[in-house]
Amino acid sequence: MTTSNDIVLVEDIVKDFRPGFGLRRKRVLHGISFRVREREIFGFVGPNGAGKTTTLKVLMGLIHATSGRTSILGNAVNETAFRRQIGYLPENPYFYDYLTGREILDFYAKLSGVERNLRASRVDELLGLVGLSQAADARLRTYSKGMLQRVGIAQALVHDPQVVFLDEPMSGLDPIGRKDVRDLILRLRTQGKTVFMNTHILSDVEMVCDRVAIIAAGRIRYEGAIDEFLVAGEPEADLVLAGLPAETAVELEERFGAKLRGHGEQIELRVAEKDASPAMRLALNAGARVVSSIPHRVSLESIFMTAVNESQDEEAAS
Amino acid sequence: MILRIWTLASNTVREAIRSKLLYTLLGFAIALILLAIALSQLSYIDNDRILQNFGFASIRLFSVAIAIFVGVNLIHKEVDRRTVYTILSKPLSRSEFLLGKYFGLLITIWLQLGIMVAFFVGTSVVTGASLGLSDAAVIALLCVELALVVAIATLFSAFTTPMLASFFSVGIWIVGNLTRDLKLMGAKASDTSIEWVTTWLHRVLPDMASFDLTIEAAHGLPISASDLAIPMVYGVGYIVILLMISMAIFERRDFR
Repeated sequence: MTTSNDIVLVEDIVKDFRPGFGLRRKRVLHGISFRVREREIFGFVGPNGAGKTTTLKVLMGLIHATSGRTSILGNAVNETAFRRQIGYLPENPYFYDYLTGREILDFYAKLSGVERNLRASRVDELLGLVGLSQAADARLRTYSKGMLQRVGIAQALVHDPQVVFLDEPMSGLDPIGRKDVRDLILRLRTQGKTVFMNTHILSDVEMVCDRVAIIAAGRIRYEGAIDEFLVAGEPEADLVLAGLPAETAVELEERFGAKLRGHGEQIELRVAEKDASPAMRLALNAGARVVSSIPHRVSLESIFMTAVNESQDEEAAS
Repeated sequence: MILRIWTLASNTVREAIRSKLLYTLLGFAIALILLAIALSQLSYIDNDRILQNFGFASIRLFSVAIAIFVGVNLIHKEVDRRTVYTILSKPLSRSEFLLGKYFGLLITIWLQLGIMVAFFVGTSVVTGASLGLSDAAVIALLCVELALVVAIATLFSAFTTPMLASFFSVGIWIVGNLTRDLKLMGAKASDTSIEWVTTWLHRVLPDMASFDLTIEAAHGLPISASDLAIPMVYGVGYIVILLMISMAIFERRDFR
């Protein structure tokens, strides 16, 4: 159901590609649905080849969906006028390298309909924002990958859009550049903008995103607020035991549902946090030694890995 | 809409001005015109006619070559280098993008033609060769022909590789120059199916020979207003159809 503050709406999108000239089709998006709300930073997360960039291209009107419905700010994505309100940074952006940094931003500002009397000051402002003022009059062919990424971010913002779509925005940036971009994304939220961010770098997502959707093999596996993810599920603990008799290991599995993994003479097992003490007592009584006991934090990474493993299992089963 | 198309067109011209390839081709064309002067001086009969024939032929051949070989890359390069991604995310349609690129290349080609013609006129004045309105008519129709050639190259560039687009564009230009002769040959053939094929080739493919008034100009033959107007209307009509097909194809493309 659409709510009034849904900025991006994706409903049951299917995308098939023809790999060659034949009639055979390959399905890369299997009816995905999600929504992005006003003034949130939305992380669209998935491994390489999961369908993140394809989804973003569908939203940008660069690829036509086979079926389903997409809208941005209430507009169908094949319309053009509303794009005055959106900015887009593609993955590994490429620009006309015969232009200077200032010229390329002026070019995009013109295309975006920025008024003539505001253009020069807006371009200067953006060059300063992404730290390219010094290189503004150098041709883009002399720019490094990180500098081109900054140009990409600047062109996405040059017309002061309401919604910004970023495909791997930290790609090609050094640690300082990554922090700058993270800060910039957070600043966009304080300015009331909505940010959609494609990435596979989970630490970035945990640091900046309000909500996240995880996509794997063309299917949405999870969607929700970051906080919900991190507190979801029962807390667990990882125990490492040495000298555990085989029959006790079986008993631990049966009584506590422990997942066991052997590491030489040591055995690592994960149990519910409430079962950690009884499990350790059982092991000690059987003559085993407790090497370590560490509470296991449910992180975005573990959810991500679960999603990826599920998709791989499904693929193997089919 | 016009402002956006103009922004793209002027940027395409700027790209050409900053490209070394076009200057090289332009250099070759001017060298060939110089060769025409040298040849005309060697001949003991009708120096003016040799200069005009060879000069116009050089200008036409090089202009068409530049139009095709730059034109076939026009859209493909944008997609291949993914510059199209950021541009199409802005508030402009794919058709506006294609028209902007088309007019940008056309202005570039006409600018180059202008330089070659200026050089040709200069050498004609220096060598004392006569120039008249018929020469201006030749250049006017060459402008239309080039606009048509750029439209053909743009059409193929919208959906195929530069290699195939070059092959198709050159092929159409060559066959387009021969369709009148083919039609005449077909009319004389005993097999009616041959006549049918050559007639339809003449109808469907662009009649490039209709834009060539070089012989009339070189021999001082009269050129009427209709000799100029009819090919112009025909050319513009053909260009509009080609651009509409190009836009329809480009609108449906997926940029993967």
